[in-house]
Amino acid sequence: MSSVNINFIRSTLIMLAIGALILLGIVGSSVWLVSQNSIYSEQVAQMRRVRSGSADLLSVLQDAETGQRGYLLAAEDSFLQPYEAALARLPERIAYLDKNVKGLPAFESRVPELEKLIADKTTELKRTVDLTTAGKVTEALAIVRNSSGRLMMDQIRVILRSFLEQADSTLSVTVREQLDAANSLKWVTIGGAVAIVIVLIGATLVIAQHVRDLSRIREEVELLNQGLEERVNERTEDLMRANQEIQKFAYIVTHDLRAPLVNIMGFTSELTTTLKAINAYVLADEKVPTEDVIREARLAAKEDLPEAIDFIRSSTKKMDSLINAILKISRDGRRTLVPERIDLKAMLEATADSVHHQINDAGGKVDISVAIQSLTTDRFSLEQIFGNLFDNAVKYRSLDRPLELAVRAVKDSRNSVRIEVTDNGRGIAPEDRERVFELFRRAGHQNQPGEGIGLAHVRSLIRNLGGDITVESNIGAGSTFVLRLPSDLAKIVRS
Amino acid sequence: MQAMGKEVTIVMVEDDEGHARLIEKNVRRAGVNNEIVPFTSGNLALDYILGEDRSGLVSAHRYLLILLDLNLPDMSGIDILEKVKSNPHTKRLPIVILTTTDDEREIQRCYDLGANVYITKPVEYESFANAIRQLGLFFSVMQIP
Repeated sequence: MSSVNINFIRSTLIMLAIGALILLGIVGSSVWLVSQNSIYSEQVAQMRRVRSGSADLLSVLQDAETGQRGYLLAAEDSFLQPYEAALARLPERIAYLDKNVKGLPAFESRVPELEKLIADKTTELKRTVDLTTAGKVTEALAIVRNSSGRLMMDQIRVILRSFLEQADSTLSVTVREQLDAANSLKWVTIGGAVAIVIVLIGATLVIAQHVRDLSRIREEVELLNQGLEERVNERTEDLMRANQEIQKFAYIVTHDLRAPLVNIMGFTSELTTTLKAINAYVLADEKVPTEDVIREARLAAKEDLPEAIDFIRSSTKKMDSLINAILKISRDGRRTLVPERIDLKAMLEATADSVHHQINDAGGKVDISVAIQSLTTDRFSLEQIFGNLFDNAVKYRSLDRPLELAVRAVKDSRNSVRIEVTDNGRGIAPEDRERVFELFRRAGHQNQPGEGIGLAHVRSLIRNLGGDITVESNIGAGSTFVLRLPSDLAKIVRS
Repeated sequence: MQAMGKEVTIVMVEDDEGHARLIEKNVRRAGVNNEIVPFTSGNLALDYILGEDRSGLVSAHRYLLILLDLNLPDMSGIDILEKVKSNPHTKRLPIVILTTTDDEREIQRCYDLGANVYITKPVEYESFANAIRQLGLFFSVMQIP
């Protein structure tokens, strides 16, 4: 049970650790990817600003040039307005681009060249406009015609275009990288989620297994508890029964031993009385005994004396036989049981053979049917039990019909067998069915010799084997002795 | 001992012949000269008291006093007591239990079943003889229906 717990704790902890690691990984990579993403976003924004700055600058410069051209052509102040507006916006545009290309060497390196070109171009624009305002249109046009302004503008355009292209290509790379990063974040999250789900499933399985183990163990414990209670009850009943038997036994023994003792003491006193009558005659000395004294003395010597002695002798014998019977039962009870596998059918047949001629002479028969797989018990006890039961069947058979003795052995439950010994004898009255198993007690007409020991002995033997015997009977029709025995005595002895 | 002018017969149910002899001797010494019919087993005694058909009719006009031992080989004296006391023809017959048993519950049970006197056989012979002699006195004043 503790190993189950340790396993459970270990695997749950491992699951927890794995789950925590995966979570940490997901959080870490998410944080990293998000910060990466914000860097990309910043880059993208800067690149966009560079791009728009470049585009704006170009358009402002073109506005200025267009305004200059218009003014030069028309020499009207209204054309000068866009030109001046463009020039006014120019420094702001340059500063904006300047600010945004900081940290981008590919752009920054070309900024001084660009600024110089813009300054030159602005100077060229201003000169032409100033010349035009001063009325020297031809001079202004000559400056334009020498196309240095156009060249400058072309160079500016090339630089800004390259800015735009570079910004575009950088943007597309950065966006792709950003997309990749977002993708990675997605996959990491999905992977982490899958891993967590797997860990969760694993943990659930482990917990479910543990719960199953626990409930199985609890069931086992409950079963054991129940069994234990039953066993304790059984043992307690056995103990109470044994205790009652001991008390009954002690009671019977003391009272049955007391009966001959009453005789011995009684007739000893009678002897003393008889002695007085004899003494009166024998010790009469010179006096002539009277008729009465002579008659009394003769009666005493002839009848009372032998009677008293006979009773004392028979009572002593009775006591001796009682003590021997008790000794026999006690000796058999103390005998070490030797469990061995018994061929019940063969044993029953052998035992039946010993009463064979008594049954056959009267035309009787014995029927043995054994339907049990195996029986392991003490051979000597079992032989004694069946010997006694068969002897009784012969002794107490009904005199007006031939004896039919049937033995049937069947399986009673998983661990016990039931053997029925049925006769068609004279039967046992209901009030005597318990009494016949008591020591020195007999039932029915006392037309057979016996001391009332056989069945008491049988019951004590079979209880020693862990079984019991009861009797069912129809008075005048026969009796069935029902024996219940554990099918394996060795198991009982071990437990 | 007489009843309605007739001699009373003492039925002694006692399996131990020695006891039977000692009881008889002491009953006689107490001056009781009624006929004593001894039985050594319960069944034979019941055959005599209730008849072989156990109807009790045989004792309808008999005057019997029953001395009963409880420890009989073939049945318990209590069974005899119960049978005699539950039979309409014999239930008035006085029954004296004379036995070695001194178990309180057993004595109680006998009185409950209608026993008239319960005497425990003492091992000490003086007491035994005394008890029987007193029983003899008891017999001599007893009215039997």
